[in-house]
Amino acid sequence: MFKPNTLDHSSTTVASQVVPFLRNYYIYFVLIAIIVFLSAANLDRFDLFERGNFLYEKNIINILRVSAPILVLAGAFTLLMVSGYIDLSVGSTMGLSAVIYAMLAINGMPFWSAFAITALCGALLGAFNGLLVVRFKITPVIATLITLSLFKGIALLLVQDGVSAIKSMGDLKMPLWFNAYGREGVLMGLPMAFWVAVGVTIVLIVLQNRSLLGKYAAATGGNPTAAKLSGINTSMVVFVLYAIVGVSAALAGIARASFMSLGDPLSGDGMELTAILVVLIGGTAFSGGEGKVLRSFIGALIIMTLTLGMLTLVPAYFQTLVIGAVLLAAAASNHFISRKEHAS
Amino acid sequence: MSVSIKANKALFDNRRMSDQMYITLLVASVAVGLFLIASMWVPNFFQLQNMLNLVTNNWAVISLGVGVSFLLVSGNFDLSVGGIVALSGVLSVWLVQSMGGANALSSGLGLPYWLALLGALAGAMAIGGLNALFVVKFRIPSIIVTLGTMMVARGIAQVITQGSQRNTNLPDEFGVLGSLKVFGTSIQLPVVFMAVLLLVAIFIERKMIFGRLTYWIGANPVAARLSGIDNARHITYLYLFSSAIAGVVGILLSSEFQSGYSNRGMLMEFDALVIALLGGIAIAGGFGSVIGMFFGAIILAVVTSAATGLTLSPDWQFILKAVAVFLAIMAQTWALTRRNQ
Repeated sequence: MFKPNTLDHSSTTVASQVVPFLRNYYIYFVLIAIIVFLSAANLDRFDLFERGNFLYEKNIINILRVSAPILVLAGAFTLLMVSGYIDLSVGSTMGLSAVIYAMLAINGMPFWSAFAITALCGALLGAFNGLLVVRFKITPVIATLITLSLFKGIALLLVQDGVSAIKSMGDLKMPLWFNAYGREGVLMGLPMAFWVAVGVTIVLIVLQNRSLLGKYAAATGGNPTAAKLSGINTSMVVFVLYAIVGVSAALAGIARASFMSLGDPLSGDGMELTAILVVLIGGTAFSGGEGKVLRSFIGALIIMTLTLGMLTLVPAYFQTLVIGAVLLAAAASNHFISRKEHAS
Repeated sequence: MSVSIKANKALFDNRRMSDQMYITLLVASVAVGLFLIASMWVPNFFQLQNMLNLVTNNWAVISLGVGVSFLLVSGNFDLSVGGIVALSGVLSVWLVQSMGGANALSSGLGLPYWLALLGALAGAMAIGGLNALFVVKFRIPSIIVTLGTMMVARGIAQVITQGSQRNTNLPDEFGVLGSLKVFGTSIQLPVVFMAVLLLVAIFIERKMIFGRLTYWIGANPVAARLSGIDNARHITYLYLFSSAIAGVVGILLSSEFQSGYSNRGMLMEFDALVIALLGGIAIAGGFGSVIGMFFGAIILAVVTSAATGLTLSPDWQFILKAVAVFLAIMAQTWALTRRNQ
């Protein structure tokens, strides 16, 4: 007599267990599904691990090292969005950092000091964003739109007229070590830039889960007023997060400059879009309050695998359309998943 | 009794300007002031022809600014307009190109010209509809949605043109719209389009219920909904309106250049946003005006053309744009807080 009732009961518990499980782990299934699809797509012409197929060792290494810039940026960008803020200037910060790094290197500075100075510049650029938002109280979107334009202008001015980027010219030669950071395999065939991205992500995961900054960021994004009233210095939290995003963008710029062997002021163009896309795919709510660094890292892998893997299947001019569609789909699925959770 | 009458009279006498008019006047005087300052430094700047050029060279961005301004006032972004400009331009070319050209890029669908224009406009408004669907129905932040649709629109344009442009096999009448001189003067049809659009927009904004509702929704969406306004339908109309303007701009531009180019209108969405902000439209919604946006466009035009006149490298325009927006935002906040102390 009670059977139907028990059945009903068990089905609701299954649903209430499945939805959070999907919410937490669907992103890994998406990544696996994309990899399976891409490796199967060319099987009629190549063997599974043969050159020309997706799982060819050098192909994977190449995808990972091209992805280094977005991988290093995704985590910090997630923390900022968790706190309810946004940085549209990351692309310009990246371009400016690439130019600074290349200028330092071409003028004879050794690797580590050029690296450190560029990262410091990134921190300053990020702090400048933070200053505009926190001190001058300009809306984040406008403030970082201003600096998007400003940093890009500075980067373009640093490169002399008539040349498009900092590169070997005449007497000034790029040092031999310049592209090692982004290209030369140091561990498992992967370059330093990739491992730095992994390291930064681990640090940020610890920061998010084990430090006050992570808790405060979530509190600021969840309810700014409540956070402020409970004694959190939200201005300081936001300022520090902007600086961290600045450093990450600078590291991304270094990785890109090193990979391309030149300091291109426009090398970060569109990076803000990619970063937003990656963070959204990772399931971070745009309104702030929730989101995980690790899931954005996986989101970055998904986007890069998709865009680069797709090149073997369709012409390059499909890229913008696919990324735009994925962005809309990610935004919509975020909406539906979070609505389901509220409903249950 | 007499006290209350006095109070009423005092209230009536104290008809000071609205904050909005105040900011619009501020923006206008900054535009004029900047023009005069530039005239002192830049040779040949203070000429009637130059004044006209400042407006006519920017007809596309000002036209886009109208739709973007209305949406900003209602509290929503529209960053998709640049992509729509590319899409509708490419569509108008692709639909009208005759079939069986020498290669894939020179053969289109061969529709009659008027049908191609309608098709291009429909394509543009479909993107506007997509914006409205995601913003209104799914309640996703408009900045994300319109960034996505910007890429979708430009992406479709890139697929149609295979990442390049289509400019062959076009009928003779194709180039007419974009370069038609009106009334025998040197003023071209697109500029007339911009002027009419501005006048209509100002009329709608000031004198029609539709315009006033936009302010209500932007100032307080919840209160607007509770007082019986259909926010969803209103914002849908605004997105369709903005995308239709962008569609027309795309058609006119592709006609002017006689080509459908997938990178046309790149960064125009940011320029449209920038001139709206310079013109004193608040990003939070509910405040600002189309006239202000127009003068914001003049400020940007004076700054960039003065920089060119001073033979600064074109790279300076990015920095000048940034400084102009920063100063404009700070000045407006400062003026408003000072006034309302």
